[in-house]
Amino acid sequence: MKLREYEAKKVIKEYGIPVPAGFLIRSADELPAHIAELGDKCVLKAQVDVGGRGKAGGILMADPTNAVATARELFGKKIKGLPVKEVLAEERLDIQHEYYLSITVDRSTKQPLILFTDAGGVDIEITAKEHPDAIRKVTANPLMRDIPPFLLRELVGTAPKEIGGIINKLYRVFLEKDALLAEINPLVTTTKGVFAADAKIIVDDNALTRQGFTVNRDLTDREREAEKYGFSYVELDGAIGVIGNGAGLTMSTLDLIEFYGGKAANFLDVGGGAESERVMHAVRLVASVPPVKVIVVNLLGGITKCDEVAKGIIDANIHQKVIVRLAGTNEAEGRAMLRAKGYEMLNTMDLVVKKAVEVAA
Amino acid sequence: MIYGDRKTGVLVQGATGKQGEFHIGLMNAYAKQVGARGVVAGVTPGKGGKEVHGVPVYNTVKDAMRDHDISASVIFVPAAAAADSIMEEANAGIQTIVAITEHIPVHDTMKAIAYAKMEGCSVIGPNCPGLLSPGEVKMGIMPSGLFSRGNVGVISRSGTLTYEVVDELTRAGIGQSTVIGIGGDPVIGQTFVDVIARFENDPQTKAVVLIGEVGGNLEEEGANATDMPIVAYIAGISAPPDKRMGHAGAIVEGGEGDARSKIARLKKAGVPVASRPSEIPAMVRGLFKSC
Repeated sequence: MKLREYEAKKVIKEYGIPVPAGFLIRSADELPAHIAELGDKCVLKAQVDVGGRGKAGGILMADPTNAVATARELFGKKIKGLPVKEVLAEERLDIQHEYYLSITVDRSTKQPLILFTDAGGVDIEITAKEHPDAIRKVTANPLMRDIPPFLLRELVGTAPKEIGGIINKLYRVFLEKDALLAEINPLVTTTKGVFAADAKIIVDDNALTRQGFTVNRDLTDREREAEKYGFSYVELDGAIGVIGNGAGLTMSTLDLIEFYGGKAANFLDVGGGAESERVMHAVRLVASVPPVKVIVVNLLGGITKCDEVAKGIIDANIHQKVIVRLAGTNEAEGRAMLRAKGYEMLNTMDLVVKKAVEVAA
Repeated sequence: MIYGDRKTGVLVQGATGKQGEFHIGLMNAYAKQVGARGVVAGVTPGKGGKEVHGVPVYNTVKDAMRDHDISASVIFVPAAAAADSIMEEANAGIQTIVAITEHIPVHDTMKAIAYAKMEGCSVIGPNCPGLLSPGEVKMGIMPSGLFSRGNVGVISRSGTLTYEVVDELTRAGIGQSTVIGIGGDPVIGQTFVDVIARFENDPQTKAVVLIGEVGGNLEEEGANATDMPIVAYIAGISAPPDKRMGHAGAIVEGGEGDARSKIARLKKAGVPVASRPSEIPAMVRGLFKSC
């Protein structure tokens, strides 16, 4: 789950990384009470859960004379379709130089990967392509609580030495907050020292509970409902509902829909060993999305029992057509139950998907 | 076979839980069928002295190791304690650790894998179905009825999709040497590179089927590190960016790890890529003809 900028800044500030003076407001009227804290020029930043907000008009410059009006303008906007409900008001820094700093999980080395470059403030993906030599990278041993000084020196190079301390503080944040990403872009030098002008933290969804989060904000309402039943669910925009067991098989079913020229409405993985009630909820959940015309159920039973699946499909009792591919444990029983109720069954993934694409067309 | 054979003594951690108990039964039914040792001991702290399907349960891995010859283990422990189980087994000297558990926080996994590496042992998973070498050994939860013995190795980040492909291969008369699910998490112990290196040293394995998905670039790394004949399939060509597709590791992020660029890189490395699972058997036959 992605933390908002003001949340990420609060976290890194607790770890001793300097951030600009600032405060969060939920309406323009809250601004005058504290505006004096921001000095003679400020920046207003929309706190929306979407990337690229600067280019989308979500960051506005102001000074004390026009700040309230500018804040009103920002609160009236939609940034990439999202309403602005929170704005971070900050002092505007006199930036001398911008750096980029991030810590991620590196799949190849299975270790935290720290990236630092003098060419900050811009899109790091572009820098990575155009000037790969400008990016310094090291991996750290996850069993150590600190990055050894020699690695910090390697990262910092000729940049101000105090940045080494900031990198290590961000590493502590990364470890202790279960982050998949901890990023400061840009990290800036000013006459008053080094500051994190922006900050981004993504917390591991599998660690939300121990980090004290009760809901995953990144999920839509329907995705959250699916999570309650233990499904992995992703909303898409086609008319063919998909239910599978196992992430790979379900993804592959989606791909096959595209292969045969159709569009999937969703990804739903019911997980292993699904009982009839869970299957029923899965079918109803997928059927509740308005554009869904037909549902493909593709289940390969190992632990999953086909008769349980069949009962779940029948109990869901939805009006859309359900096309079923069932294989594995208790296959004959499951098939007999569905056949008795007139459900269409086909033997392979290719056949069920092809049929569903025809029905949806 | 790789990682184990009929002589391998297997330990199960989380032996008295619902999953552990169920799969000890299935693993030992398979062991009996092929004449293997199978699961010889279980571990659940506080449940020492109990039995599960006739398998003795111990309080600690070290206790179990004192009484039995054990070189591999399968972990069914819940996510909050699973990383600790990996480290306990590595510390006790188990060589191959299969972690079935899903939803382990990635920082716990990183630490456990770093620790296991220090102890010189191999971790398969987490969030994986384990492995099965037909006629030899089953360590995990794969449905053995679909498998047949032969000389194609299968490596996958998935569970049921692997069974789908194995089913297709078996129906087409193509047997498997070892089928291994390496896990759907972003950080996993044995990667494609490690497993392919084992297949290279395995006289039984003549060709490899590599089943990947969106997220990261471990598939390409694996394909680039070997001269073995490979057929690949990548799931998730229709996956939208920045959405986790069921597996914690199945995500296209920062414009990286999408299926199309993976497929392009595999093809560039000379690996034929199937556009759907049902094409795989014919492509495997094609490999055998050309080599």
